[in-house]
Amino acid sequence: MKKIIATLAFVLCFAGAALAQDELSFERKQAIDSLALEKVRDLSKYIKIAGSKETPFSEANRVIDRAEELFMSDAEIGVSSLSSNQITYYRVRKYFEHLMRLNYDRVEIEWYNIEYVSDLQRQPDGTYVGVITIFQTFRGYNAEGNLEYKDTTKKDITVYVKRKETQIGGRTIGFWDVLLGDMRVKETSNR
Amino acid sequence: MKNRITTVIMVLLAVFVTLGGATSCKSKKRLAKEAAEAEYKSRVEQATKDLNAILDDETLWTLEEKEARVQTIKDWNLQNAEVDDLLFQVEKKLARERAQREEEERNKNEQQQTQSANVTIESNFNSIARAGSVSQANRVINETLSLFESPNVPVLIIIKQNQGFNDYDRPTTIENYLNYVKDQKKATEKVFEIKYNANGKINELELIKK
Repeated sequence: MKKIIATLAFVLCFAGAALAQDELSFERKQAIDSLALEKVRDLSKYIKIAGSKETPFSEANRVIDRAEELFMSDAEIGVSSLSSNQITYYRVRKYFEHLMRLNYDRVEIEWYNIEYVSDLQRQPDGTYVGVITIFQTFRGYNAEGNLEYKDTTKKDITVYVKRKETQIGGRTIGFWDVLLGDMRVKETSNR
Repeated sequence: MKNRITTVIMVLLAVFVTLGGATSCKSKKRLAKEAAEAEYKSRVEQATKDLNAILDDETLWTLEEKEARVQTIKDWNLQNAEVDDLLFQVEKKLARERAQREEEERNKNEQQQTQSANVTIESNFNSIARAGSVSQANRVINETLSLFESPNVPVLIIIKQNQGFNDYDRPTTIENYLNYVKDQKKATEKVFEIKYNANGKINELELIKK
């Protein structure tokens, strides 16, 4: 009986220590929270650049490459319209190609109120998963400079943050890899 | 008879003059020899004193003054075993001091080079972020890339330092990073560490969030 109790105590201590090791300090957690938010803000800039009719084609393509790197390989981005209840989901590159083909002479895309709706939570495999919500206002203008279409969409983006390692200059670098998952449309209005 | 006496006197005078002159010449040589010996002794003493002072760091001479002193002593060519031994030791000591001085100067230059590179790179980041057009930003990007070994030089970004432990963002390349600054129109990182290759080109850059 004593042996069993001693073994259990040892296992509990070991598990507790392992758990404590996995726990991030408040400051480190805050740093990865900010990093994930920053990636979403970066994406908003890429969407703005690729959507702008003034952006040279080569620059737009380069920006799409960078934007793709922000996402998980199978991630999809939802697109809605005031004229339809249907939400179409595109793979990231397809979404950007669709954005570049929009039939307006000028496009304005603004993202605001970018914040967590669900904080990053540690999963059993060590990945931190959270949800960030954004509001996007889209404006499309015709050749005369008149506003033809405007909507505001609330979207939720799932973010995955995982600790990884790589070799650089002969040393091992541990880094936080932030990847965006699906970007789901929650609501669309004409505001 | 008178003539004989005169001749004898003349001969005697000649003998005196000759003998007297010879004695004086011998004395001058001896004096010169003594003077030379005294000077040699004095130089040996001086050399021994100076070399010991250099060895024991008891002089206020600069390295150049010490090296000049050693050269003077070597030029004396004293051929004295004690002086030769001291010269050997002092030359070794001065060679060490010279190497140390050069190392310090090299470190100082490298430090200045790094500081200057930090300023240049950070200033270029700001110029790219604030560029009025894509072409203007691209011009600064190309200028900045010329400081690097290649556009693929790795860039590490520290997002948080905690008890000597660094948390990094996903590593990128200098070309992608500079384009990122251009796209996002923000330079929110500063230089943390720069590594150079043998040709003085940057082959690794570490940045830290401001």
